Amino acid sequence: MRGKLLTAVLLAALLPLGWSAAQTAPAPASVGLQTTPAATPSPINGLVSALKKSLGAEARGEAVLELVFPPSANPLRNARSLPRLGAVPGLIRRNFTVTVSPDTVAGRPARRYALTPTNPLAARWVIWTDQQWNVPLAYQERMSGGSLARRAELTTVNPALSRLTRAGSVRTVRPALRRALLSALPGLKLPDGFEPVSVQTQPGTTDTMPPAVEVLLSDGLNVLALVVSPRPVKAASGVGVRQLGAQSVWLVGNLPQSALDDALNSIRRANVQAVSALPGTFGAPAASDQ
Amino acid sequence: MNDDLQPDPFLADAPLDALFAAARAPTPADLGAADRFLGRQAGLQADRSRRRRHQLRLWVSSALGVAAAAGGLLLLRPAPAELPSSAAYSVYQSALGDGW
Repeated sequence: MRGKLLTAVLLAALLPLGWSAAQTAPAPASVGLQTTPAATPSPINGLVSALKKSLGAEARGEAVLELVFPPSANPLRNARSLPRLGAVPGLIRRNFTVTVSPDTVAGRPARRYALTPTNPLAARWVIWTDQQWNVPLAYQERMSGGSLARRAELTTVNPALSRLTRAGSVRTVRPALRRALLSALPGLKLPDGFEPVSVQTQPGTTDTMPPAVEVLLSDGLNVLALVVSPRPVKAASGVGVRQLGAQSVWLVGNLPQSALDDALNSIRRANVQAVSALPGTFGAPAASDQ
Repeated sequence: MNDDLQPDPFLADAPLDALFAAARAPTPADLGAADRFLGRQAGLQADRSRRRRHQLRLWVSSALGVAAAAGGLLLLRPAPAELPSSAAYSVYQSALGDGW
């Protein structure tokens, strides 16, 4: 009885010491009390939560934007915040493997997410998010060969997070739009991982922009613009073109030229009526893309 | 009254009979009349056919000419002008989203 009492007193005296030591310094695994670490999200979940939060809040300050593709006269410019990413979370989960590592952006602790596409021809991404605010601080897109396609980076960051007055919306996959698109352009081969996420009609108000139907394809982060127009366009780097009777189909994006051409080469015809009806194709979003 | 009962010398039987007899007897002028008539009819028929064929040829030629002209217009119609590649890049840049 006396022995048990002594043991209890000793434990009561030692426990606070052991807890304190565990809190202040990393203790060897064999010494002190073991605590259960808080569950850390998987890299993909951490990234998706940051992308979703960025729809309602953003870090502002001074940002540098560099656009190498598509080519432009002024590839570099400054901005007060990062352009929206337009990510499709469900497709990022499906088409990318994600790893995370610590880093620093504009003097702030950050998480560096490296995204490698399962389609080896698609562009690779790195996205940095603020460790405290969990919103993007920088991102860059690299071509499959490794050269830069575009980047956006905050070089200084305001001390407070800015709430967006108009929240952004998440793009989602539309299976009905996919079916309608493949029916309107039989033989079209969507590049691996890419799905149609939106469609719009271009009224053709200017001479350089004729009436056209534009379909946006996404693999989660990379986008391709598929255009059906009565006017052909000059083929160039990143621009695939196929003439089908009176219609011309363009596929524009950051993919190797052979991949763009392969997507279009098997199209048998352009069903003009079905193409015109594409903007009215509103199906329910795929459940896996939420 | 009695004058009305006098026979008309022009209606006497003899001259009439002579006239009918003369009409019934074939003369050298009558020889080959049918052939000439039929020949003339055949000629007229041939003329009509020639005219019809000519008109048909004219119509077909005109139709072919119009068709050729229409086909030529369709084939030689200037194709829609090719847009510069910057038009495609512009669409792509819009697809990248706001801010770019």
